[in-house]
Amino acid sequence: MATLKVDGLTKTFPPVVKAGKPVRAIRDISFEMSGQVFVSLVGPSGCGKSTLLNIVSGVETPTSGTVSVTQDGKPAWLGYVFQDPRLLPWRTVMQNMLYVSDLEDDEARENARRYLDMVGLADVEDMWPGQLSGGMQQRVGIARAFSVGPDLLLMDEPFSHLDAITARGLRDQLQELWNETKKTVLFVTHDVMEAVQLSTRVITLAHGGVVFDDTKIGLPFPRRVSDPEFAQHQAEILARFEDMEAARAAPAT
Amino acid sequence: MTTAAVSSPRDTSPKRKPKSKLRRSITSDTAARITFYIAVVVGWQLVAWQVERMPAPWETLQFIYTELTGGTHGGVVRGQFWEHFLATLQRFSIGLAVGFVLGVILGLAIGSIRFVRSLLNDVLLVFLALPAVIWAFLTVMWFGLGWQAPVYTVILASIPFVAVNVAQGVRSVSPELHLMSDAFQVPRGRRLRNLMLPAITGYLFTGLRFAVIIGWNAVLLAEWFGASNGVGWRSRFWYDAARYRGFLGWVIVFIVFIFVLDGFVLRPLQRHAFRWRERGEDESDLSLDDVVTTGI
Repeated sequence: MATLKVDGLTKTFPPVVKAGKPVRAIRDISFEMSGQVFVSLVGPSGCGKSTLLNIVSGVETPTSGTVSVTQDGKPAWLGYVFQDPRLLPWRTVMQNMLYVSDLEDDEARENARRYLDMVGLADVEDMWPGQLSGGMQQRVGIARAFSVGPDLLLMDEPFSHLDAITARGLRDQLQELWNETKKTVLFVTHDVMEAVQLSTRVITLAHGGVVFDDTKIGLPFPRRVSDPEFAQHQAEILARFEDMEAARAAPAT
Repeated sequence: MTTAAVSSPRDTSPKRKPKSKLRRSITSDTAARITFYIAVVVGWQLVAWQVERMPAPWETLQFIYTELTGGTHGGVVRGQFWEHFLATLQRFSIGLAVGFVLGVILGLAIGSIRFVRSLLNDVLLVFLALPAVIWAFLTVMWFGLGWQAPVYTVILASIPFVAVNVAQGVRSVSPELHLMSDAFQVPRGRRLRNLMLPAITGYLFTGLRFAVIIGWNAVLLAEWFGASNGVGWRSRFWYDAARYRGFLGWVIVFIVFIFVLDGFVLRPLQRHAFRWRERGEDESDLSLDDVVTTGI
């Protein structure tokens, strides 16, 4: 069972201009997640969501605090879905899938096919990424991340570059995929609706990179946006966020 | 009503198509190239009529033919074409292969290691600026007459062009794809094969084409000064004998060789390497078919 522990995490970037203030991306963030959970990190642009994800994945190092990702006490294996598909344009879909896999044998091929099938792309394995639509490319990106059998799957706003209709279709598909695989997922988004639809837990970050809200979503899957309970969860999170924003905007006394 | 509205724009397209295809053929790159060759031959013939020492295209072709098939001309035995051509081809191929491999290694190092870049930047600039004739002189001084001078000249002249292009290619590899590979912990060897090499392929081909042209140039120069057979030596032989059609004939051979190599080896290779790109970029190469079908 994969466990992610984030403890007192702070990240400060050097000032952009000389003699300016250092830029604090996230401040003293702590949370823990474990097992078959889909956790969303929600927050406005610039609140440090992606920085947090980069630290978890090891691409960036924290200024202070610790992150540990373990699977039964051992270092965990990570999968990553990016904002853009990040496929090798000169390799076919299948070759892109094999690029990240342990081996390049028939078994790996079978495994790749299984995940391509799950995202509805059974018959494109010999095509070049350039021949696919943006939504299809992103689905390959998702299949790729699932195919490595990650203990923890990190997803960085994977639908933010797609049009609304395509994004909705992919969210439904991701919901199904998660229900089948029950991977531990940390999902970053700025869209509260998306977070409520997909997650078992929503962590909200505020400006300045602090955890502001942490809510469990107990709705059964598959979730429908038109469900009144869905709307209620979404409204509650948004209301708390608006109250916090209003309090921040009010002049200090 | 709706069907009529849908089908009407379709109806006009077949009527327009043949005309636009014809026009496309006339204005295509291939047509432009053919026009250029014809102009060169005509211009050459005009100059030959005016200048006494300029052999005409036909005489030159005749010379190449006898050089190929044998016979005598003014007491000199002919028919040594393949002996000289193959000797040069061998020197050129060895030199180019070695120069290319060394250039790629050097380019990868310069592109990916900052220290090597600062160390070799100026040296490379000097090498790029040195004309092949300098290398030809130097290698003849070092090795004397024989196969070494041409081979080393090709190596030395081609390395910097390959290295500079490969280094530029390495630096152009998308950092996002590197981060993706980091995130999935893709091993080094696989990353080199699937990310680095394909990403620099375009630069590699540019480097190779430069190396071929510079290298061919270099091998001929080196043979001119420092060999006892080969295309360069044979050209000089006819030049010294004041047989200008012989000299010019061999010049034509150099040029034809480069065109054949470029058109039948390098370009097909390049097209194969870039088959992942959408069709359309290489349309100019396909327009030869259009010329044939429309009967121009």
